[in-house]
Amino acid sequence: MSTGKITARDMLYEEPGPKTRLTVRIVTGISLAALAALAAAVVYRFYATGQLDPKYWTFFGRITTWSFLGKGLIGTLEAAAMAGLIAFTAGFFLMLGRISPFRLLRGLCTALVEFTRGVPTLLFIYFFFLVVPQFGIRMDAFWKISIPVAISACGVVAEVLRSGVNAVPKGQTEAALSLGMRGRSVFLKVVFPQAIRYVIPALIAELVIVVKDTTFAYVVNFPDLMQNAKVLISNYDALLSVYLVTAVIYILLNFFLNRLSVAIAARQKRTMKP
Amino acid sequence: MSISQLLAQYGEEYVLSLLTTWKLTAICFFAAFVLGILITVLRVSPIRPLRIFADLYVQIFRNIPGACLLILLVYALPYLNVLLSYFTCVTLAASLIPSAFCSEYLMAGINTIAPGQIEAARSLGMTFPMILRRVVIPQALRSSVLPLTNLLTATMLTTALASQVPLKPRDLTGLVSHINTHAVGGVMAFLISASLYCATAVVIGQIGNLIDRKVRILR
Repeated sequence: MSTGKITARDMLYEEPGPKTRLTVRIVTGISLAALAALAAAVVYRFYATGQLDPKYWTFFGRITTWSFLGKGLIGTLEAAAMAGLIAFTAGFFLMLGRISPFRLLRGLCTALVEFTRGVPTLLFIYFFFLVVPQFGIRMDAFWKISIPVAISACGVVAEVLRSGVNAVPKGQTEAALSLGMRGRSVFLKVVFPQAIRYVIPALIAELVIVVKDTTFAYVVNFPDLMQNAKVLISNYDALLSVYLVTAVIYILLNFFLNRLSVAIAARQKRTMKP
Repeated sequence: MSISQLLAQYGEEYVLSLLTTWKLTAICFFAAFVLGILITVLRVSPIRPLRIFADLYVQIFRNIPGACLLILLVYALPYLNVLLSYFTCVTLAASLIPSAFCSEYLMAGINTIAPGQIEAARSLGMTFPMILRRVVIPQALRSSVLPLTNLLTATMLTTALASQVPLKPRDLTGLVSHINTHAVGGVMAFLISASLYCATAVVIGQIGNLIDRKVRILR
């Protein structure tokens, strides 16, 4: 993963001499053999237990399989997008509370941020799955997954936004005020738009966590990727292959989100000189 | 249920659950830290296959959802004749994921060291192990105190996965789901667990800040 910049990782060694080069080459050969043996052992395990049988894999050649998994993926993305939207809105207001001049409000918002950051998502999900219905409130499965996931993300979003606001130079506020702008419009028109730009990479990274948390949708029976994978498993009686493919889909999705975040951060470093 | 009723009936279980969550967190964090260091060593080693393997490891485990990994360990591995206990599965899942993040933080810590420092150390005649021991590792560790504190909290949150398998004694999340499926535990049952998690997280955070203030390198 070269970023083109020389980092300490590449600097740890000096240019190797002939002796070291030989050692490196030998160890490379040994490690290559060891890794190959590991891979072979895994594949053999699959073979020996009959998991390489075509019946477990051929249905991935059918369009219906992929359209069904795709539907689940769309469910995942919808829940994640809604959770992200709620978390962003709630995080925005929590952030406003944390930087407000009113002590009580500041304390309350700090406590809320700490609370949402210190409690596992699963506990929030169980709250909406088991406790909320005890009050006779009926909710769609979609909300039962997206709201708790949003709650557990909003504290982090608030902190990320706050760090962005703090990163905007003070001179910006002073200049806007000296132009006669009011406090609120200074914040909304000058400070916040710049703050958002600083923190877009961190917000995307948080979106990865939101996507991961939506996998608990099976708890509330929401048809996301994981839930649809379960249906496929009972249809084709193929557990291992389906779960492996599902895991790979999740990994790729989050990998590309992370990549996007890194790419935007790198671009900002080039274009936004402090 | 009122709080006194809850504590009378489930007080002991709450204590057991808190201890279970703490135990899981401690075991998993230790395992994640050791694994993270090993993987980081592979990632900075000059052996290309090992570098690629370790990079792949990190990408897999930092991007896989916890539920997905746990389900693979619990339900898929038996098809390969690998039978692990529920406790092992939870511990594995809650160690592998944080280990990838641990390695990422350590790499970031290494990358904060200016390349000039390593050149300087080398020109002073230090050998590679000496450079690692005296220049790289101390600085990398000192600048990763806060990330590692966050990792400890994240590990604790990940151990909530234990509620997805039948485990005895239950963890804090599992207990809430147990109480609420057997009785009307209400908001209180949830709040007790939540505040126990939260208090632990706050204490971890405070200790982390304290250590960080002591060892941070002011640049």
